[in-house]
Amino acid sequence: MPFELVPPGTHIDFIGKRRIAAAISLALLLAGAIAVPINGVKLGIDFQGGTEMQVLFDDQVDVDEGVIRSLVGACGIEDSSVVRYGETEGREFLIRFQVGAVAIAKGGRCAFTPEQEKALERAKLSGGGGGDEGEKGETIDKLTYALGNEIGPLVVQRVEFVGPRVGSELRSDGLMSLAVACVLILMYIAFRFSARFAPGAIIALVHDIGITAGIFVILGLEFDLRVLAALLAILGYSLNDTIIIYDRIRENMKLRTKFDLVDVLNQSVNQTLARTVLTSGTTMAVVLSLWIFGGEVIRPFAIAMAIGIVIGTYSSVFIAAPTLLLLEQRFGGAPASVAAPAAGAGAAAEVAPDAAFAVRHDAPPRRDAGSNKARRKKKKRR
Amino acid sequence: MSLRGRTIWVAATVTLFGYYAVANFASEETRIESPLVPDNALRLGLDLRGGIHWVIGVKLGATEDHELSFLKGLLEDDLERDKVVVGKIEVVDQKLRIETFTEAARAAVRKWIRDTDQITEVGTNPELLIFELSDLRRQQVRQQGMSQVLEVLRRRIGDPMKGIPDSVVTRQGDDRVLVQIPGGALDRARAREMLRVTGFLEFKIVMDIAQTEELLRDKYPDGVLPEGTTIAFERDNETNRVLSAYLVGKEADLTGDYLTDARPGFDNQQRPQVDFTFNPAGGEIFQALTEANIGAQLAIILDDRVYSAPTIRGRIATRGTISGRFTMEEVSDLSVVLRAGSLSVPVVIEEERTVGPALGADSIRRGVKAMIVGLAAIVFFTTFYYRLSGLYACAALAMNLLMLIGVMSMFEATLTLPGLAGIVLTVGMAVDANVIIFERIREELRANKTPRAAISTGFSKAFWTIMDANITTLGTAIVLYNYGTGPIKGFAVTLSIGVVTSVFAALVITRLMFAVYPGDRHIETLSI
Repeated sequence: MPFELVPPGTHIDFIGKRRIAAAISLALLLAGAIAVPINGVKLGIDFQGGTEMQVLFDDQVDVDEGVIRSLVGACGIEDSSVVRYGETEGREFLIRFQVGAVAIAKGGRCAFTPEQEKALERAKLSGGGGGDEGEKGETIDKLTYALGNEIGPLVVQRVEFVGPRVGSELRSDGLMSLAVACVLILMYIAFRFSARFAPGAIIALVHDIGITAGIFVILGLEFDLRVLAALLAILGYSLNDTIIIYDRIRENMKLRTKFDLVDVLNQSVNQTLARTVLTSGTTMAVVLSLWIFGGEVIRPFAIAMAIGIVIGTYSSVFIAAPTLLLLEQRFGGAPASVAAPAAGAGAAAEVAPDAAFAVRHDAPPRRDAGSNKARRKKKKRR
Repeated sequence: MSLRGRTIWVAATVTLFGYYAVANFASEETRIESPLVPDNALRLGLDLRGGIHWVIGVKLGATEDHELSFLKGLLEDDLERDKVVVGKIEVVDQKLRIETFTEAARAAVRKWIRDTDQITEVGTNPELLIFELSDLRRQQVRQQGMSQVLEVLRRRIGDPMKGIPDSVVTRQGDDRVLVQIPGGALDRARAREMLRVTGFLEFKIVMDIAQTEELLRDKYPDGVLPEGTTIAFERDNETNRVLSAYLVGKEADLTGDYLTDARPGFDNQQRPQVDFTFNPAGGEIFQALTEANIGAQLAIILDDRVYSAPTIRGRIATRGTISGRFTMEEVSDLSVVLRAGSLSVPVVIEEERTVGPALGADSIRRGVKAMIVGLAAIVFFTTFYYRLSGLYACAALAMNLLMLIGVMSMFEATLTLPGLAGIVLTVGMAVDANVIIFERIREELRANKTPRAAISTGFSKAFWTIMDANITTLGTAIVLYNYGTGPIKGFAVTLSIGVVTSVFAALVITRLMFAVYPGDRHIETLSI
């Protein structure tokens, strides 16, 4: 006997709960919206420009954020942010500051050795000038030298710098990519299903992106390119879910001559529930694995994906189908007009889906007489 | 197709890609030497390997200024010759500004401008004439500037011989250059020195010449070169093979600082030649040099490499030509080289993503660990839930991954950290296709179909559902590839390829396994 996570014949009234679901969604969206002026939208350097250095000091060095920050300030950069990073007993830090920093004043605590001076001079002559000091990359070298000289030997693990021009481009490209993806999706669904299926999918997607982004704002998490990649991946994933359900809805609509749309929608969602739960489960498992084992660099991506999977699954079940219902009720024709056929076929055709729908582990008596006929009728309809 | 036929071609496909995947573990030497081991391999992105990644913006406005300055020089000469009096002429912000006092002067200037056919008038002030380059000319000039920067950077960084191995210098858009220097050996300040895009240009009289270094040395007793001399080589651009060895003085007779311009032109027989211009000081030196060395060759050396060694035919002052049997392309290249030695085009680092090798190795370790844990969880669960069919799904998953890496290796795609995450995601979503199929089959079984019929119907009903779902994921991956940069592109690539291999694995491979067992056999229950 196969193990069933969702016993066949489960019949949860998802559509009936749609108003509660809508209320919850609206509440979440509102919470996100309210959090924007309160917490502010934190943009990573990818979108707002700036420099980020990840430095790891050697074993014997004893240092904390304050020390680093004051040294960075002494070097002429006033508004820096220094944060402890990673898991290495407090020796790894993330230093972040804006581009176009004040020209670094020499002397005092921001000191370089003569060799370093020479290296800086030589490097300065290259590129022929143009752009702020930050854009020419000198600030990073100077800071590295100063930190090494005053605090202790260190390794620069990672440097990321985004100039203002590139930053604004990434920002607009990022938003554009989300928009383009949504449009493409709308077109594809309209093509493969029919126009009235499309809005449900789009609303579900906008809902997913909106709530995921909202949760990020509420938690004060940062938006950067990795999070954008996750958002686009969530679009694809949530769409998967929605399409699976739509596919079932379409199939069920074809099978029945007359039906109550609410009934069909509920039935479709219930039938695909097993698959929905399983896939969400497995995808979530790998995302959690990334979150826990993947390290700091990939963590923002994993967090966004995890939130997105939960919200995406929820939206496919509670948002996409009800939207379809709403549209049908407002604009669509009577459901009966969807199906074709002869009255006689009606009874036989109803047998098959019911058999799949209701739990019958022992062979049902109804099966013998009608089934072959039902199978032939089904084939004809397709 | 028969069952055997299908099994063979699926096995062949999987083996082919699998081979490319496994070949990644072979070392570089084995790869080059052995004809059996493919040369193509997966490349590691800089975020996994460590290295410097720069997007450099080229300030092409400077090239326009330079061009206008050149034209300004010509204009001044001609106005003086024609005794036309004007006020200040200056080049500011890519515009040529000429102060005039009389209508006649203005007419003369305008006529001159019209004759050059490269400048258009902007600005409406009656006394102050303002011009800028015509659109066509501006484009040409900017294009030349980019070529120059690329030329010098490539030779210095991307050169297979003298540059840094495995580094990349490519154009990005209209005015940006992407530079990637892998490995952790180069410190940032030293790497920034390489961004000096003015080449070091030298002119030296050639004292002796031979085909190779040995032949040259053979000409002198004991192979010892005369005092104060050195050898400069002319090499083939592609293979780097030595074409000629020149004996020249250690000190340059004239350097690129004195050169103000070089451009392609035509001699009186319409043959291509290079027209160059020295500043007055340089002109004097050059005049003396050429006068004393008529008949000798003048080696033109950029960054220690001889580009050309034309024969001096007569005395040359500030303006001269280099002619010979040049093609239009050679003349154009030589002009770029000469200008590279004289014009400084400012460059600016606009984006940087540099990762130290330690962090890179760490990221690989963590990524692989996450993937293994994820895989283990999925394998365990799938087998428990779907039993034998679950095993089929896991086998298909393994082949899926193998093919994914194989395809990436074949196309020498770059694996980045987000790319690794993409692989992990592909694994999670690959299971989805199988779940859809298996759930269908279970449904059919519940409707009391025979196992064989259930399998067949399950696959056919699931087909379009799977296609629809995966095509849309592919769509978002393509959008992401288009708009993403660097590491994110890597994610889009693995996601895209992963979608294709997943669909193949679920629809073809798993299907085949069912065809093998239970296949045509008559069985009571299906292990699913």
